[in-house]
Amino acid sequence: MTSMIVRAPLHWLAAQLPTVLWLTTMWVLLWGDLAIGTIIAGAVVASLCYAAARLPVIPVRLRFRPLRVLRLASAIGLDLLTSSVRVAFHVLWRPRQVRGAIVEVPMRTDSDFLLAMTSSALSLVTGSVVIELNRSEGVVYVHGLPIESERAVARLRRQARTTEELFAHAFGTSEDIAKFEHEAEGTDRKEER
Amino acid sequence: MTAADWVTAVLMPVGALFSLIGIIGLVRFPTLLSRLHAATKPDTVGVILILAGAAFQLPDIRSAAPLALVALFQFVSVPTLGQTLGRVAYSRGMAAPEHLVVDELADALKDAEGAEPEQPETG
Amino acid sequence: MTILDYAYTATFVMLTLGVAFTLFRLVRGPSVLDRIICLNVISVLLVSFVAIEVALRGDVTYLGLMVTIALLGFVGPLIASRFAERRAHDRG
Repeated sequence: MTSMIVRAPLHWLAAQLPTVLWLTTMWVLLWGDLAIGTIIAGAVVASLCYAAARLPVIPVRLRFRPLRVLRLASAIGLDLLTSSVRVAFHVLWRPRQVRGAIVEVPMRTDSDFLLAMTSSALSLVTGSVVIELNRSEGVVYVHGLPIESERAVARLRRQARTTEELFAHAFGTSEDIAKFEHEAEGTDRKEER
Repeated sequence: MTAADWVTAVLMPVGALFSLIGIIGLVRFPTLLSRLHAATKPDTVGVILILAGAAFQLPDIRSAAPLALVALFQFVSVPTLGQTLGRVAYSRGMAAPEHLVVDELADALKDAEGAEPEQPETG
Repeated sequence: MTILDYAYTATFVMLTLGVAFTLFRLVRGPSVLDRIICLNVISVLLVSFVAIEVALRGDVTYLGLMVTIALLGFVGPLIASRFAERRAHDRG
């Protein structure tokens, strides 16, 4: 690790900054007061933990578009609520006959972060749980619950892709979005299957 | 009864109802993957509504920060657990094909093994 | 009793029923994975119980307890499911 610091101290610092910031925020939240001493202590503890755990340095290449993020958050909240209500309905109405489907959804982004965030969000909403992720081909396999017909399968696939699109536009860099648009043209016909 | 009390009085029972319905699903659904759905989603909504209800009873906004932290943990933990459990369940062959309309993962695995791709089992 | 008290009572009763049902599934299984799900659900219910207590007293003392339960209720089942995964690989 020391050699890394010598080689590129600024780069190393910049790479670990988001994690340390995040850990410090949690520390401050847990203490419950915004005193300057608390923040400094939190930063020290976070850096020590980071150094001791030898966590991998992940280059974060994300952009943050507040309006898009707001739209994404509201979409996810709404989706979470509706999918809960749908699952709840099936719980009360003939749960023995409910059927699901495992659907293959080709993803159009190539960024690790976007893929991770999208699959997490998918597991949370739209009545789906991601059960397998093929990183090299960029394909996720999603299990959706109240699915009775091929039409519902198509709808689940469409919803998954909409979620991905929202994430790409909310957090992706401009390169990510450009690549995304390019890929989207190529795979849109697949959706017709 | 202040306005905050009313908000709590509505949010908490509704949240508990969501949790309860999810748990009834956990008891009544026939397959593991469907039970996973029932246990995770309504439960998340339920606990977040209850936490929001509790937040309205606290003296100030600062002391409610740990509640937000708990909600955040829930948002992180549900997908992680769901993904891990789903993968384990599938690899153990507990996906119960008779309850699936389509299983495209099985088709993909079959293709990957180089076997003759069969018709997807629909219906 | 005010409406708020009724609300707390209703919440408490529903959550208790929830714990009872979860315990039923926990005992019945049938697989380890079901039991892991139940453990997580019970931890979430515990957090909800503590939330009622916090709201009832308007007291912030228990907030740390909530964070702890939430973390343990996540990490425990996660580790258990990782072990279950490894065992599945060994067998297959």
